[in-house]
Amino acid sequence: MEWLMWFTKFENTKPVSLVIFFVLFCGVMVYLYGSRSRGEKLENFKNIPLQDD
Amino acid sequence: MKHDNIERNLGILLVLTMLAISAGGLVEIVPLFFIKETVENVEGVRPYSPLELRGRDIYVREGCYLCHSQMIRPFRDEALRYGHYSLAAESKYDHPFQWGSKRTGPDLARVGGKYSNDWQTQHLNAPRSLVPQSVMPNYPWLLKTDLDYSDIELRMKALRTTGVPYSLTQAEYDRNVKDFGEDVAKSLHIPDAEKNLVAQAQLGNYDTDPGKLSEMDALVSYLQVLGTMVDFKKYDDDYFVKFR
Amino acid sequence: MATASVATSGVNVSAVSEQYNYDVIRKFTIMTLVWGAIGMFVGVYIASELAYPFLNFDIPYITFGRLRPVHTGAVIFGFGGSALFATSYYVVQRTCQARLFSDGMASFTFWGWQAIIVCAALGNVLGYSQGREYAEMEWPIDLMIEVVWVTYLIIFVGTLMKRKQPHIYVANWFYLAFILATALLHTFNNLAVPISLFSMKSYSLFSGAQDAMTQWWYGHNAVGFFLTAAFLGMMYYFVPKQAGRPVYSYRLSVLHFWAIIFLYMWAGAHHLHWTAIPDWTSTLAATFSIMLLLPSWGGMINGILTLSGAWDKLRTDPVMRFLIVALSFYGMSTFEGPMMSLKDVNALSHYTDWTIGHVHSGALGWVAMISFGSLYHLAPRLWNTPMYSQKLINVHFWLATIGILLYIVAMWISGIMQGLMWRAFDDFGNLQYSFVESVAAAHPFYVMRALGGAFFLSGMLLMCYNMYKTIRKGSTEQQVEVSPVAA
Repeated sequence: MEWLMWFTKFENTKPVSLVIFFVLFCGVMVYLYGSRSRGEKLENFKNIPLQDD
Repeated sequence: MKHDNIERNLGILLVLTMLAISAGGLVEIVPLFFIKETVENVEGVRPYSPLELRGRDIYVREGCYLCHSQMIRPFRDEALRYGHYSLAAESKYDHPFQWGSKRTGPDLARVGGKYSNDWQTQHLNAPRSLVPQSVMPNYPWLLKTDLDYSDIELRMKALRTTGVPYSLTQAEYDRNVKDFGEDVAKSLHIPDAEKNLVAQAQLGNYDTDPGKLSEMDALVSYLQVLGTMVDFKKYDDDYFVKFR
Repeated sequence: MATASVATSGVNVSAVSEQYNYDVIRKFTIMTLVWGAIGMFVGVYIASELAYPFLNFDIPYITFGRLRPVHTGAVIFGFGGSALFATSYYVVQRTCQARLFSDGMASFTFWGWQAIIVCAALGNVLGYSQGREYAEMEWPIDLMIEVVWVTYLIIFVGTLMKRKQPHIYVANWFYLAFILATALLHTFNNLAVPISLFSMKSYSLFSGAQDAMTQWWYGHNAVGFFLTAAFLGMMYYFVPKQAGRPVYSYRLSVLHFWAIIFLYMWAGAHHLHWTAIPDWTSTLAATFSIMLLLPSWGGMINGILTLSGAWDKLRTDPVMRFLIVALSFYGMSTFEGPMMSLKDVNALSHYTDWTIGHVHSGALGWVAMISFGSLYHLAPRLWNTPMYSQKLINVHFWLATIGILLYIVAMWISGIMQGLMWRAFDDFGNLQYSFVESVAAAHPFYVMRALGGAFFLSGMLLMCYNMYKTIRKGSTEQQVEVSPVAA
């Protein structure tokens, strides 16, 4: 539990939240928009609800 | 082969979702249980006496927390209106906490001792007889209903399980004498709970009807103890700031 | 438009009803309307009690303190919960092209959930309360919820595993996150020690500051997952279906999903600004609350732009209008929320009616409006007939919109007024107003709020009537299936 204490330091909270969020955000963005072919594949899924009738 | 792949994808979705939704709670809540500074070290805070505890149960039963907060914030106007800002230590025996989220009526964190028992009883019975613009409901049944304290020991035992220092054994009683002094320790002793409850009601005469032990007795005894446990004259103004 | 698609799908009704379990969806749809009407009626009544306290009638069972949890329980878990069960069972079957995992278990979730709502309401009225907002239900009811919820999770995951469509459509992701998160929140927030196995009374396991953090982690995320993520799942299916065109960007919806579910869980402590919790928790929560604005608006834009190129539907289709106005209110309250989580704004807004207004702009404007739109889309498909009256849908829309506006404007004014009066000083540095002066000043706005609620309730009742007439003239699968059995 010692490592959790680092998060409790008032001055660490804003940077840590920004770092975690930014890294994850970049990861997701690269996954979604990094490759044209994957992008097209993903966009095709949006038709699923319209194909169910 | 393909089916395997599909199932694994659902598994990945489940795992990633669980990770994402657990992160925030882990980082923000778990440390509160381990850091000493979460709760200040102050003298005077003690568990509720059996009568006050039953009063608190009635407070919860009637949903008082939906209109009254018990959490004074560190602002000048709140200091003038309600008193010193609330400390975490002051609710450390509160299961559940009753900080509230809405002030349709005023904050009650330090209402103890501000009004007489007479006033509290009449106000709960018919608020608009004392405060004409009030929108609080009348609670006439509190005076009419005898307090049911048959399960007071069960209630205290359940709280003891959660960590409130009510005493069941001689060793626990001795520990309470050391921590809270003899008078308080007596009131926390579970085997004597019924006796102590009746004695406090008779001595305090909270509902101004000496012959009757009503729900009003219990509720007023609870209101009268709110915010009175800590003597703020003992501490410097900035002592509490470091816990925030 | 809606009529045309019903007509084409009507051809293979029997095939559809064999393929999918619509029975449980019909039941949940009806109970959504019933709990909506009851919950909103109780809401109007307690709003009137605050305006005219004689309405408490000195009867313990109907005082504000006991009825308020009845209101929140009936609208959140009764109305909202039933709407989510109905739509999630519909969406997961349609987008997976698979029947529900188990009809028996689905039926159990229906009867179990209804029993829970009834018990919770009765318990509240009788004074059994855990004393935690939106989690007032005592421990036996909490255990029932746990059982029903795990069954729900099994059905949902089981159906996803049976799917014929290789990809899991994003709406199901939101529903799944909602089910998982609700299980997690419910379990940890309701840890309590009963005083005996034969008593309803229990005491929460945690106390004071820790208890407060747990409760508002629950309270905030009940809003985040029960009332937001799940209804976004609804949005990602029903907006494209009603518009007849796919969602604007699928990749944006994926981004929306991960950002929302990650960020929401950090923001709960903004309900506890300036209280006796450590400052770092509060500041961290405020930071994440601000960041939440981005995915929220991304999702809103994604939903609204689904209509790009077909804006005329807003003029011609009242169901579409419900859905799009719901998204607009979603955008508005997800802007207001982060703003109120700033510590300086919160110092003014907290404890006042502003919070109540904010909750209702989300609950009425977003949750209820998107549910109304989705149910108006759903009912013709469940009962194989067009809605009884398009005109009544339109009237409902306007009653609801006027009701919401009256409600939130009243609460904005009274909330900001209360905040300012409480902190006002006179020339000598004394408090300018006594507390009760702020109570008296709020009276006209409490009347206005009750009136807004009455507008919204009357729209809800109109919807019930419209649905009743629709169901009466429609047919369910049983009637269609009679002939093959007889032959």
